[in-house]
Amino acid sequence: MASACTIEREPLIDGNKTPGEVTRDICGVLDGTPSPMWWGALAVSSSVLLLGVMAVSYQIATGIGTWGLNNTVGWAFDITNFVFWIGIGHAGTLISAVLFLVRQKWRTSVNRAAEAMTLFAVMCAGVFPLIHMGRPWFCYWMAPYPNMRGSLWINFRSPLVWDFFAISTYFLISLTFWYVGMIPDLATIRDRARSIWRKRIMGFFSLGWNGSYSTWLHYETVYLLLAGLATPLVVSVHTIVSWDFATAVLPGWHTTIFPPYFVIGAIFSGMAMVLTLMLIARKTMRLEAYITERHVGAMCKMVLFTGSCVGLAYGTEFLIAAYSNNPYEQFVFLNRALGPFAWAYWIMVSCNVIAPQFFWLKRIRRNFAAVFVLSLFVNVGMWFERFVIIVTSLHRDFLPASWASYAPTSIEIATLLGSFGLFFTCFLLFCRFIPVIAMGEVKGVLSYGRKSH
Amino acid sequence: MSEKQRKRYWMSLRQRDDAGAYMEAAGDEFSEVPDPAEKGLDRRGFLKAAGFSFGGMLVAGCTRAPVHKAIPFLVQPEDVVPGRATWYASTCGACPAGCGLLVKNRDGRPIKLEGNPDHPLSRGGLCAVGQASILGLYDSHRLRHPVQGGKQTDWAGVDKAITARLDAVRKQGGAVRFLSGTIASPTAARVIGAFLASFEDARHITYEPLSCSAILDAHARTHGVRVLPHYRFDRARLIVAFEADFLGTWISPVEFTAGYRAGRQPEGDPAAFSEHVQFESRYSLTGGKADKRYCIAPEAVRPILYRLAVRVAALAGMPAPGAGAGGESAIPVAEVDGLAERLWEARGRSLVVCGSQEIATQVLCNFINHALGNYGRTLELATPSQQNRADDAALQALLKELAGGRVRALLVHGVNPVLDLPGGEAVAKAIAAVPLVISFAARMDETARHAHFVCPDHHYLESWGDAEPVRGIVSFFQPVIAPLGETRALVESLAVWSGTPRGARELLAETWPDQAFRERTLHDGYAVVQREAVPAGAFRAGEIEPVRAVCAGDDALTLALYAKVGMFDGRHAYNPWLHELPDPVTKAVWDNYACLSPGAAQRLGVAQGDVVRIQPAGDEAAPAIELPVLVQPGQHDDLVAVALGYGAAETARFGHVGPTWLHDRPTVGPNGLVGTNAAPLLMFAGGTLRRCGRRVRLVPTGRRHVLALTQEHHTITVPQRLAPEGGLRRENIRETTLAALRANAASRPHAAAHERRDDLWPDDHPYTGHHWGMVIDLTACTGCGACVIACQVENNIPVVGKDEVRRNREMHWMRIDRYYSDTGATPDMVHQPMMCQQCDHAPCETVCPVLATVHSEEGLNQQVYNRCVGTRYCSNNCPYKVRRFNWFNYPRNDVLENMTLNPDVTVRSRGVMEKCSFCVQRIQEAKFEARRRGVALADGDIRPACQQSCPAGAIVFGDLNDPKSRLSRLIAGGRHYRVLEELNVRPTVGYLRVVRNRPQTEDHVDHG
Repeated sequence: MASACTIEREPLIDGNKTPGEVTRDICGVLDGTPSPMWWGALAVSSSVLLLGVMAVSYQIATGIGTWGLNNTVGWAFDITNFVFWIGIGHAGTLISAVLFLVRQKWRTSVNRAAEAMTLFAVMCAGVFPLIHMGRPWFCYWMAPYPNMRGSLWINFRSPLVWDFFAISTYFLISLTFWYVGMIPDLATIRDRARSIWRKRIMGFFSLGWNGSYSTWLHYETVYLLLAGLATPLVVSVHTIVSWDFATAVLPGWHTTIFPPYFVIGAIFSGMAMVLTLMLIARKTMRLEAYITERHVGAMCKMVLFTGSCVGLAYGTEFLIAAYSNNPYEQFVFLNRALGPFAWAYWIMVSCNVIAPQFFWLKRIRRNFAAVFVLSLFVNVGMWFERFVIIVTSLHRDFLPASWASYAPTSIEIATLLGSFGLFFTCFLLFCRFIPVIAMGEVKGVLSYGRKSH
Repeated sequence: MSEKQRKRYWMSLRQRDDAGAYMEAAGDEFSEVPDPAEKGLDRRGFLKAAGFSFGGMLVAGCTRAPVHKAIPFLVQPEDVVPGRATWYASTCGACPAGCGLLVKNRDGRPIKLEGNPDHPLSRGGLCAVGQASILGLYDSHRLRHPVQGGKQTDWAGVDKAITARLDAVRKQGGAVRFLSGTIASPTAARVIGAFLASFEDARHITYEPLSCSAILDAHARTHGVRVLPHYRFDRARLIVAFEADFLGTWISPVEFTAGYRAGRQPEGDPAAFSEHVQFESRYSLTGGKADKRYCIAPEAVRPILYRLAVRVAALAGMPAPGAGAGGESAIPVAEVDGLAERLWEARGRSLVVCGSQEIATQVLCNFINHALGNYGRTLELATPSQQNRADDAALQALLKELAGGRVRALLVHGVNPVLDLPGGEAVAKAIAAVPLVISFAARMDETARHAHFVCPDHHYLESWGDAEPVRGIVSFFQPVIAPLGETRALVESLAVWSGTPRGARELLAETWPDQAFRERTLHDGYAVVQREAVPAGAFRAGEIEPVRAVCAGDDALTLALYAKVGMFDGRHAYNPWLHELPDPVTKAVWDNYACLSPGAAQRLGVAQGDVVRIQPAGDEAAPAIELPVLVQPGQHDDLVAVALGYGAAETARFGHVGPTWLHDRPTVGPNGLVGTNAAPLLMFAGGTLRRCGRRVRLVPTGRRHVLALTQEHHTITVPQRLAPEGGLRRENIRETTLAALRANAASRPHAAAHERRDDLWPDDHPYTGHHWGMVIDLTACTGCGACVIACQVENNIPVVGKDEVRRNREMHWMRIDRYYSDTGATPDMVHQPMMCQQCDHAPCETVCPVLATVHSEEGLNQQVYNRCVGTRYCSNNCPYKVRRFNWFNYPRNDVLENMTLNPDVTVRSRGVMEKCSFCVQRIQEAKFEARRRGVALADGDIRPACQQSCPAGAIVFGDLNDPKSRLSRLIAGGRHYRVLEELNVRPTVGYLRVVRNRPQTEDHVDHG
């Protein structure tokens, strides 16, 4: 038996679950009344959301001046938060599409939650380009629609227009992918539902799923195709977001390394956020059997790999600045590391480059408390990465006379908190109404029914 | 040919036989249809017509036409075309310098002041204060009625009461004193004289907060006439200035800047480029232009002057002036001697000026100028200046009289002694005790509050008048708008009280009886009249008092009170534009502060923003003021410099200037006012009102006050520890020396340096017509900020308040970057006006998602306000950071103030980006005008507001496609460079490098 273990993989799901047990375990959460902990969490997150809504309402009513921006630093918290959330949203597509295509079966336990996280993160991200506008009520001008203003069109040369398309495409595809992947599970809920309303709603959304062989066949085909469609998005979205910076003339922004650097950074931050969320969900929703050391370990390795890539990118930026002999470029990077915002830079480096290195140790990877803390570090670090890129590049640009500083106002901080409020409120509602683990897929990786040892 | 003779043609026999009936039938082809008109209106027709007209009425009645009380001209004046500006020549009344004005009127209201290019003194320039003074006209806090005993009243009542009281004075006798600022108006002087002549003991006392009394007194002593010479900087080849900020605030800065500029032209063969040596203790704008600047203590002026005088006297073979006046020279004697030799070489074409208020120092200065033969050449005494006629001795005598209660009636015009004299409270008390005080103040200032009667004078744009700033050069004031309130000209009031009521225009006509002369002067804006020369006596230096010993070694500092370029003497403290104009040197707004050198700050253990108490040393009872510290490089270590003109009561209104929101902080300080009045620290000594010389002790209070600076950083070098190798200095300022320029002019072909490289992409803008561009001569630019205010007025730029400036959100489209070059204790200062560079490859244009910023066929980078959604990406991508974002809806609640808005320029709402447009409205206007006249647009027809106002003529706008334009010639001239050229954004604004008249050294190599 010991020898058999050496050639067989560890089971992905612990506890020799039967499909029936899986259904009970996962749908059980949806059947009972929510725990006080859930209520408490919802109360906190929705309060924070409300705070954010108030801050944004005040800002829209009064003006962007309620933020700490100035003539020199035209973007700071707004676009930092935007890129941060878009980055978080990256892991979902990666897990659901890319890992699906490369047959990483461990993804089945986390893909649903990761995709939900993607959607909510993209929603949070999408808020910022809207509210950062001076006149958000004209946000629809960003869309190319036929209008009565002569031949007035949008500027297809502007990276912000590319962004608009990239993000809306990403959101739509992610939503479709998430929804399609959910259909079998929705049918399961429909079949288990006792209340007539749940039955009707789930019946509508499960699109008449009957579990037949042909249904499964169609479903798998669509899912595979969608995975194929979504895969380029993993690369495209953050590449295009990075072009917001890379196509600018500003030293510190104008670098060709940005697309891969941003994509890797996004996967890094997204994975860290998945880890953070899944470790909480695992504990609070008693999913220990479904999210095991193997899943966490795999994700830790991804974080380690991507974190190292990010570190390499940081180093490359300095190398290229030195090599370029461009004094502006050299100054920007020295200013990042030694200038007024050096504290932000070193938070970034310690959280993003140093912290993940602990994942080399299996001991750490298996210690979920440590993993949780380190994943939080990465989240913080990645927020600071965007802050550093945006603010330190802007605040010391070409002409010393226009150099300025930046400090956020309470409104900006409340808006950032509010975006977390939105994210967690959505996520808590998701946990409550939709199976957090793709039952249909997990059942496919159970050891149940396979050749017994 | 008659009807009968004409041949008749016919078509048929019937027609021939019965022509009349046939023709009728043929003409009415459809004769069967009955004509409704014959039968009257039928029922259906009536209903149709009624329904249609009712519907039409309903539609017309339902439109939401806003009801505006637009009252058309009942009789349209022949020369008023709505939408077209009319220009009137007038004179600037913002200060006594009397620059020539052209007033732009739109639809009956003046909206912009510009310099009159024909005026012999100002030569087309107008300073920031002059530009901004139009706001004074529309100031809603101006008095609109005479005030008696604090209550509004009417002129008849005031006149009756005043006449009665004055008659009593006439009968009973008693001292009548007329206290005013400099009056350069012959008519006003005549009327005041006539008014005062009706009293037994009456005197007119003139004082200026920025007094030049010592210069007049010194001339009284040396030349026997108490006059201020007319300085001719344009004729001087060597200018040596001691503590005189003649390009910024001293006597007549616009005139002096124009003259200074005329004498410093590096181009031309041979280049006429004067040498300028500045000795000063604080860093002034003028010091920044100097070729050689010595940073000395204020007490060191006289020993250096004395040494110079001795050397010059020796060279001239004259006896040295009075013995014992010497002292230790603060700078190496050899350098002073060298300067004396250079002065002697340039005798007759040199000029020594001194801003000191010590008469003995001024006498030394006069001696040197006399020994050099400069009188009559670079200083004119025969046609003296009348721009500053302060008589501090008379003022001191008046204060004594007031304190002694010996004045029966006091009339105050144009000055505010309670605010701007030392011991203001005592002055207030003394004034309150005078039985009759009449003020002519336009606003309820500190002095007017103690007056029994306030008889507000007109704003100068509302009244007739004349000015003779320099003897023989006359210009007129003409009203360009009917008075906005029930105000009355000073001369009219005085005429009424003299018993001879006359209008100001009549009084003007009495002074200048020749009607043809008056009309010509009104048209031209000025006239040169023959005046008899002032009879100056033979030169007589007399005794020169020895220098008073400086108590060195104690921890006290010397206090220098100075005037800021924007605030001048504080008479325009009501003006938010001037408060928000960054000081050319410190770049601070909305405050005055204690300037300390870095060394002094370190010695005292204070940092920028620490509030210190400035206490006169050795006199604990003396008034002290508290101010935040500003660390000023290039200032003498033994000096604390504080600006005058702040802390006026009328600045209390600025509490809520700027946007109101959660974290806004008031623009006023803890005292509820803008800045702190430093006048209590002025002192009378030696017969003059001294701004400098008081010893003070600085005591940190432990409080902090964050100053609002538009520029945080000081030098063009990046911090040492952040400097990449070889990248210490940024190339946005390029300097050269006259010697290097001349050496290069011989050896280098210039035009080739500016050829453009080929690009990978085809140019999508061929610029087949015009291609607008600009060149700014950094050698000429003094950084005075006139252009900033001109731009603000022209382009409806809002005032944002101190807190917003602290947040780096000033809205000025044009800023003047000030850089120090890191050359040790006395760094050089360079100013660089920076506005939208109208790049041909504009980085802002490509990134705007909604095409709100686009390129015009003529090379303009146009901002489309109503398309802008405010992503601010364009601003982030602008290498020059010249775009300005409307962070808020800036309050424009003052309806009267809004009258200054230029109707040709949109007022931008919040959330919209804006920036310099090259005054596109002026470009369009000039093009339309040229088309209307059917002529081609000529070079120089278009002058943006900044160029128009520049006293130094540093800004040249023109067509890059016209090889003969002045612009193209300057570009080819060899000094031209573009800022951040290396980015290939192709700015169309270029700069001409700074030239200093220095020997070529390694420090100042001409960067190719």
